[in-house]
Amino acid sequence: MILIPCPWCGSRDAGEFAYGGEPTPRPDPRTATREQWRGYLYLRNNVAGWTTERWYHRMGCRRYLTVQRNTVTNEVRQP
Amino acid sequence: MFSRRGHLTLAHNDSSLRTMRWRAEVNKASGVDSEVIGPADIKKLVPFMDTSERARYPILGALYHPPGGIIRHDAVVWGYARAADAMGVHVHQDTELTGIDVEQGRVTGVRTNRGSIATSVVVNCTAGWSTLVANLAGVRLPIQTFPLQAAVTEPVRPFLDTVVVSGTLHVYVSQTDRGELVFGASVDPFASYSTRGTLEFVEGLAGHVLQLMPSLSTLRLLRQWAGLCDMTPDFAPIMGHTEVDGFLVDVGWGTYGFKAGPVAGEAMAECVATGRTPELISAFGLRRFADGSLVGEKGAAAVGH
Repeated sequence: MILIPCPWCGSRDAGEFAYGGEPTPRPDPRTATREQWRGYLYLRNNVAGWTTERWYHRMGCRRYLTVQRNTVTNEVRQP
Repeated sequence: MFSRRGHLTLAHNDSSLRTMRWRAEVNKASGVDSEVIGPADIKKLVPFMDTSERARYPILGALYHPPGGIIRHDAVVWGYARAADAMGVHVHQDTELTGIDVEQGRVTGVRTNRGSIATSVVVNCTAGWSTLVANLAGVRLPIQTFPLQAAVTEPVRPFLDTVVVSGTLHVYVSQTDRGELVFGASVDPFASYSTRGTLEFVEGLAGHVLQLMPSLSTLRLLRQWAGLCDMTPDFAPIMGHTEVDGFLVDVGWGTYGFKAGPVAGEAMAECVATGRTPELISAFGLRRFADGSLVGEKGAAAVGH
């Protein structure tokens, strides 16, 4: 079982959350090139190790939060 | 190696039944033996299946593919490795790739923990770690790695001859020659490189299996495991040349299916030998993501997305 530290509800089971993935900064659609825009849509770092990512507490406070997770061990810590 | 026993893809609602009919017609037009059958015929093939209307998700029909079956995939892979070895190919096990040398946009060699190899061609056909390998050559791939879990039960006498798949319940069931039931489902809900099994997975899996075959409730699970799936945005593999000369990819197979492996290997060999991309795999190039021409073939894998 993986516990996700929600800043509002405390540590809760990962099953209560929806995975938001690694944050991808959205380029300005008025000035972004096609290449930049599709990179924003599709390219991810897919890190093996510690990474910062977004989760959504869908069965709790329904807020988005940022956590750090080690994608090799699934160990989770507060950013 | 190949055990032919028939394959059922169940439909639990009108729209999936419509999709099954459509798939059956496409298959027939391609000369493939495939048809839609009703609950009574399903019951004849799999007597233990709950085809009643009392089920939580009643079975309305199934796409039946009589020539379908089970392949011993690990044995097939070792067969290929042995044949390649006999033809003079060197297979280096337990050798870690530590770097790919690129000079002026061209591959010049690879570095490993057991020495370097000078080469002008490198094919990245890894699974699970394909993005990490591509990063060594300075190539970014639109891939995320997700674990795919599966489980087997203790062995019992043969009672299930066909392979049963339900997209609605996200589950597939078959029985091995040794009598174990093999269960699988869709990938885990978040990206990870961890291959540990989870309790959440087996709980969900067992629930879905019992909705199909309630009499299996006394069976015990023997073991569960996870493998890594490289998922692309359109669930289709990426094959061919990249922006780095001599660095080719055959990656992102995710849950796409094992059967396409041999022909993909032939097409990749042609890529390496001629430097051109064969027509067969031209739609699967890495450029398709930047060009916005994704492959629309979500139904290729046994479990839908």
